[in-house]
Amino acid sequence: MRRFLKNCTNAGLITAAVFAVSGSGSVSAQEKLVIATTGGTLEQEMRTHFFDPFTKETGIQVITVSGTGAENVARIKAMAQTGNVEWDLYQAGEIQAASELHKSMNEDMTEFCRAYQGDTDLLPGACASSGVLSAYGTTLLAYNTRSFPAPGLKTWGDFFNVEKFPGPRSMPNFNDPWRVMAAALLADGVKPDALFPLDVDRALGKLDTIRPHISLWWKTGDQSTQGFRNGEYVAGEIWQTRASALKKEGQPLAWSQDQAFLVGDRWALIKKAPHRANAIKFLEYFLAHPQAQARVCEALTCTPARYSAAKAMNAEAQAAAPTSPDVFEKLIRPDAAWINANNQMLLERWNEWNQR
Amino acid sequence: MTVTATIGVPSTEAIRRRPLTGSARSYSKTLSLILIAPLVLLMGFGFLYPVGKLLLGSFFAPEFGLEQFQRLMRSPLYLTVLLRTFEIAFAVTIASLVIGYPIAFAMAKLPRRWAALTTVCVLIPLWTSTLVRSYAWIVLLQRKGVVNALLLDLGWITEPLRLIYTEGAVVMAMTHVLLPYTILPIFAAVRAVPNELGQAASNLGAGTLSVFWRIMLPLSLPGVFAGCLMTFILALGFYVTPALVGGPRTMLMATLIGQQTTETLDWAFAGALSTVLLAATLTFVVAFRKTLSLNRGFAGVS
Repeated sequence: MRRFLKNCTNAGLITAAVFAVSGSGSVSAQEKLVIATTGGTLEQEMRTHFFDPFTKETGIQVITVSGTGAENVARIKAMAQTGNVEWDLYQAGEIQAASELHKSMNEDMTEFCRAYQGDTDLLPGACASSGVLSAYGTTLLAYNTRSFPAPGLKTWGDFFNVEKFPGPRSMPNFNDPWRVMAAALLADGVKPDALFPLDVDRALGKLDTIRPHISLWWKTGDQSTQGFRNGEYVAGEIWQTRASALKKEGQPLAWSQDQAFLVGDRWALIKKAPHRANAIKFLEYFLAHPQAQARVCEALTCTPARYSAAKAMNAEAQAAAPTSPDVFEKLIRPDAAWINANNQMLLERWNEWNQR
Repeated sequence: MTVTATIGVPSTEAIRRRPLTGSARSYSKTLSLILIAPLVLLMGFGFLYPVGKLLLGSFFAPEFGLEQFQRLMRSPLYLTVLLRTFEIAFAVTIASLVIGYPIAFAMAKLPRRWAALTTVCVLIPLWTSTLVRSYAWIVLLQRKGVVNALLLDLGWITEPLRLIYTEGAVVMAMTHVLLPYTILPIFAAVRAVPNELGQAASNLGAGTLSVFWRIMLPLSLPGVFAGCLMTFILALGFYVTPALVGGPRTMLMATLIGQQTTETLDWAFAGALSTVLLAATLTFVVAFRKTLSLNRGFAGVS
């Protein structure tokens, strides 16, 4: 659905981009860079704090195309197969970025990262062969404070405890079932360090207990917030960015970061990118501007790639996003290699469970 | 006798000799080719080539063989979903027919003003985006939606009912979206039946019911079958509405194919799923037509 909408906007954006490029002679002569984004607020913030200032400084025009993450990857795969690459950079989810497919489509960044080896201001692993970290975000447990006043829900165990915390709930269903299974396993008493490889049978068994209480399996971020607004559910496993957006709107919402799942987005440089040199310049520019990273993460409630950027964020955003080292330690990091190796199996088991 | 016949009806020889009159069969070969060329090109590049590539891909990944199809048979999931897809499409078709027939009849037979109003009611939804109509169902059916609020206010229920994200909701919403596709062919068939037939029947003593049952209904059947077939085929490939109104439990073939194309990027397997759906659909259509053509009266079904 959302994909369908995005397709429409994409078509529009591409046409707009084409016109922008071919429209006037002076523009088409200009240096450029094509970035695929996931649209929305992310793109707006990136445009304000990175794309436009970058153009001003270097004269390189940044053209964006937007689609859902999965859709962008599908297109890049098609471009790679036909040998007609039109884009330069895009943001890939960290798990996706660790996959073989990703490696086959994107450049190995080891060479680029060599210059940043001694940079202690960068988060560990921020510059890696799979790409340059853009920011970290989390998927966490959010709940309605009117239904569950302080102390509220803390762990996934509380989320699955429908006797103590009665009320309808929501969990994600965007074809990426590891998050749901991981939450179920944590609720069932599995220790975070023993989470991977996921015990799928046990996870699905635990999910059976909560299924009657799930009033929405959300597919898109917008959907995950709408239910909180209209009371469709009072607790949910949703993205941090969406949770803080809801709170900013004035919704009675609180969340727990205790067992939140940490997932980063990485800039990936597509193989045979038509404006490769400009893309490298942009990545350097991105890493060299912690202040701008801070502004973007203030708006989106994310954790930026540099410690100095995290410190430069306003207090409110620092409190909302996982920035301090002690919170950061507690977050649960998915085993990307295992998830990638078992992607099809997970999806198949998930589909089967849903049909039961 | 023979003389009047020759005068009244032009001989077949005469028809053949007439240059370029209404019938397309008398166009020259070149002209026919030019006329159909845009359609053929569009179909070739926009449909046959990409779809053929996807379908063929399922036989050639990683190398030639039926590996993708074996995988499909290994898990009961895929056949369950295929069966469910057919069940839902069937339910939608029946519901559309039951609701659609009286509406089509009204459009064809009511006094002009009322018929126009009915037609507007049928066509305006058809011109509205499927997205909008599907979201409208969410607004109606959700936990704190219009229907639940009404039932709670009336005191008929004490707890909000679970209406949305169910199979019933999917059938209802899909019926709403596909209804015009059932109505329009039936409308065309009913309208083509001359009023004089009914009048003649009444003249000979048939009651209203009898006129409908023995004249209108049989003559409108080609429209009924055309409409049902179209609705059924569209329902088989529906993606938007089930994704929005149905939860993860009402998974249809299109959802599965979407997962494989955009999420796992396993295009060979997506191709295999599409091949199975296409083959099942074609088999069904051919079987449907075969059964109908046994009865010569329905030979006009396309």
